[in-house]
Amino acid sequence: MKPQLTLQAPLELPHQEISNYLNQLWISEEEDSSGANTFTLMVWQPAWLEQCLVQNGLINGPITGILSPEIIKVAKKFIINKGLPHTTSINSGELLDLLKENLLIKDHEDLRGQFFESSISTLNPRRLITLAPTLNKASEIKTFVSAYCPLSENNITQTICGDLVVVRGDSNSIYEKGLNIIDELTIKDLPTWLWWNGSLDEAQEIFNFFTDHGIRLIIDTAIGSPKRCLKILDQSIRSNKAINDLNWVRLKSWRESLAMIFDPPTRRPILDHISDIDIDIAEGNFLQALFLISWISDKLEWEFSKIENYGELIKIEFERNNGEKISTGINSVPLGNQGIHSGQVIGLRLISKISEVQKNNTCVILGCESVECMRLEAGGMADMQLIEQVVPNAFSSSESDVSKLLGSSRGNTSPLFENSIKVAVKIFNSINN
Amino acid sequence: MSSTFSNPLRLGLRQERVISPQCLIIFGASGDLTHRKLIPALFELYLQRRIPSEFAIVGCARRPWSDQDFREKMKAKLADQISNNEKEWDKFSNYLFYEPVDLQQSEHVVRLSKRLNEIDKLQATHGNKTFYLSVSPNFYGSGCKALKAAGLIDDPKKSRVVIEKPFGRDYSSAKKLNKIVQSCADESQIYRIDHYLGKETVQNILVMRFANTIFEPIWNRNYISSVQITSSETVGVEDRAGYYESSGALRDMLQNHLTQMLAVTAMEPPGKFEPEAIRNEKAKVLQASNLADENEPWNCCIRGQYAKGGNSLKRLKGYRDEDGVNLNSTTETYIATKVFIDNWRWQGVPFYLRTGKRLPKRLGEIVLTFKDVPVHLFESTIINPAPNQLILRIQPNEGATFKFEVKSPGSGMKSRPVEMEFSYDESFGEPSDEGYVRLLADAMLSDPTLFTRSDEVEAAWKLYTPLIELMENAPWKLPIHKYESMTWGPPESDQLLSKDNLFWRRP
Repeated sequence: MKPQLTLQAPLELPHQEISNYLNQLWISEEEDSSGANTFTLMVWQPAWLEQCLVQNGLINGPITGILSPEIIKVAKKFIINKGLPHTTSINSGELLDLLKENLLIKDHEDLRGQFFESSISTLNPRRLITLAPTLNKASEIKTFVSAYCPLSENNITQTICGDLVVVRGDSNSIYEKGLNIIDELTIKDLPTWLWWNGSLDEAQEIFNFFTDHGIRLIIDTAIGSPKRCLKILDQSIRSNKAINDLNWVRLKSWRESLAMIFDPPTRRPILDHISDIDIDIAEGNFLQALFLISWISDKLEWEFSKIENYGELIKIEFERNNGEKISTGINSVPLGNQGIHSGQVIGLRLISKISEVQKNNTCVILGCESVECMRLEAGGMADMQLIEQVVPNAFSSSESDVSKLLGSSRGNTSPLFENSIKVAVKIFNSINN
Repeated sequence: MSSTFSNPLRLGLRQERVISPQCLIIFGASGDLTHRKLIPALFELYLQRRIPSEFAIVGCARRPWSDQDFREKMKAKLADQISNNEKEWDKFSNYLFYEPVDLQQSEHVVRLSKRLNEIDKLQATHGNKTFYLSVSPNFYGSGCKALKAAGLIDDPKKSRVVIEKPFGRDYSSAKKLNKIVQSCADESQIYRIDHYLGKETVQNILVMRFANTIFEPIWNRNYISSVQITSSETVGVEDRAGYYESSGALRDMLQNHLTQMLAVTAMEPPGKFEPEAIRNEKAKVLQASNLADENEPWNCCIRGQYAKGGNSLKRLKGYRDEDGVNLNSTTETYIATKVFIDNWRWQGVPFYLRTGKRLPKRLGEIVLTFKDVPVHLFESTIINPAPNQLILRIQPNEGATFKFEVKSPGSGMKSRPVEMEFSYDESFGEPSDEGYVRLLADAMLSDPTLFTRSDEVEAAWKLYTPLIELMENAPWKLPIHKYESMTWGPPESDQLLSKDNLFWRRP
């Protein structure tokens, strides 16, 4: 955490009084201390896994909303102990369902919304509003407020104070009462973001409330059903609403590595002769790989022709404008040690056939570890000109992904992402047709 | 079919920082720099979509031009650059405004202030202003005072002043000028520009040094025997005689560009990649730098002046025959000097710096020569094994070369030198931005990392004070040696190195 000087301890107030209280608080401060001129970040912070583990006594409280290494370790151990497949993601519904069986609803200290990773606090948000749904379905709404002033290391003249608001209760009470204060708490001249740090399949009426209010959205399509995720993305770009996806943000190193391969002008002709692309993903939904293929096809001006879904393998065919076909595939690979985020790309193989003679052709392999590179290299690829690159695995926390996004976003949907969504939606709709 | 001229997968990937709504005010807008460098750099930023829609460029000079005059004159001057982007230029030119201003006339500055308010409202620039002093260095101090008096730089968060080189003529004038500008604005508002620092390759020195583990352990006196920093031009004084006669190579190039390259090459690693951390290290290394012989500086410095030259196809004038140059001018067009850095890292390692006009090639490079191996086990095909060298090419053909010894093919065990190359063109295939593109954007983004802080400027002047004093008080001790145009400077400059059993690298 960045050093923080809390002006006051978190104070529980009736939700109707929060807005007035904060207005008074800042007015009573010196004229130059009206808070950081940055942004408001609202966070849907269910932390279901952490809540379940605490309630089951598998880890000690308090509940913080931060996915700590201990939570990951205990969850993975639970997966093995309960005989679930080793490939089970810690975000899987199956794991949560199992944890919710025989759950003891006990009171635990809940500090969600009062801790933020330094990657976010260094951006000095003006207001952080945390919506913290509880497992207990009969939990009345409680609201807390506190103000903070990070100790600035550089520019002491700059005002960087902010405040934290926590709205805690069951999903129903948040929907019915908690959302009433959102409008009042929105600071008009500053941009407001909602980070939906949970599955898009849950609490849809709350999510819809924010989309209807035109707030900039940050979602994670690694969690939730592909159909629902793509629907939300499609609706957002059609209605010109800013949306960003952490699953897309985590693709950055893959996009950059692939682009890097073709930076030397001598390699660029390879792009005009690509015949095959295979993408390996860790088990989970395949949206990230679909976005990657969509981005490539958009940049190389390929037209989507058809898709075949074989479960573990999805084949997608494109056509170049000279009529040549490009076959691509998304292959789900069972991994013993699943990462934090499911369905992440772990390898990419691109074959460019410039001639009938194998050794004149080129094979580009990107893998998140050398074992993956070796796997993709099998089957005669080594006979071609081989270009290999190991792409660092995205082990970053969601908080740090959000921070990267907030630090670089221009407030709109990334144009590259927008174009990929359009292609991805077209491909996905063909599965259902 | 995708084009193979640019990398289609690269398009849109680079995330550039966004310049906030802004009004850039250029004083000296009728001068060369404005149409040669500043407006082209701003147009380039516009083409890269980095200019916000809430933007304005206000040209200021004494000439009684209108907005329209300014737009047309800039269009005429930039004709080549605009030819492929006519429509884009038409949109960009809407950002151009002009106000006739003499900075020495207070009523002019008051009128300018009113005009800026109108433009601020018209273009919604939120009161953010960057003032660019592209005027005669004599007016830097009074220019800042005039801006201060009109209240134009009162807000340290919303206003900045960019000051061109040369910042002062010597240590005492630089110190005095610093005092004046710091009395008008906070140091954080002052951006002393040295366009060499805007060059991709100069910034790459930092990345090469501090993003790799292999260089830093050997980047010191234990492994490096000498360093050469060269910046050469093929052109003569051209139409800048008026300025150059009072400046010369020391003030025009050595004190700023070459010394900044020295600082970036020799500085300690900063704790963080933050403006002040980097500038602290640069200032520290410059403060530890001294001429190799401060008491008898004529032993470590050679001055030269180009004489006529060329060939039968193209005859080149000597410096004294150029228009606007005094027939008996003793202004140096070439200077070479030897510097030591008295710190733990560099003690005893000579840094040779040279710059000149009318040299055979236009280039900038830094050559780090490593120490010889302790024992020569192998016979070399070229008498002696060549020492390892790392050559950082600033311009042209930007990149780096590493020279090392390998076994020469054949039945014997002889060694011979080979080169390992990195070329920006071959690796990236895209031209890098002009220094001004980067620096103008950085100034408007309030990022001072690549600008020179007051203590750096003062330390750089202090380093050359013994030479400047000698040139002023006893110039015969530092004579001007003639060199034929399009040769590598006067023969005496070779002796500067031959005394140390070294020679200049022939690029």
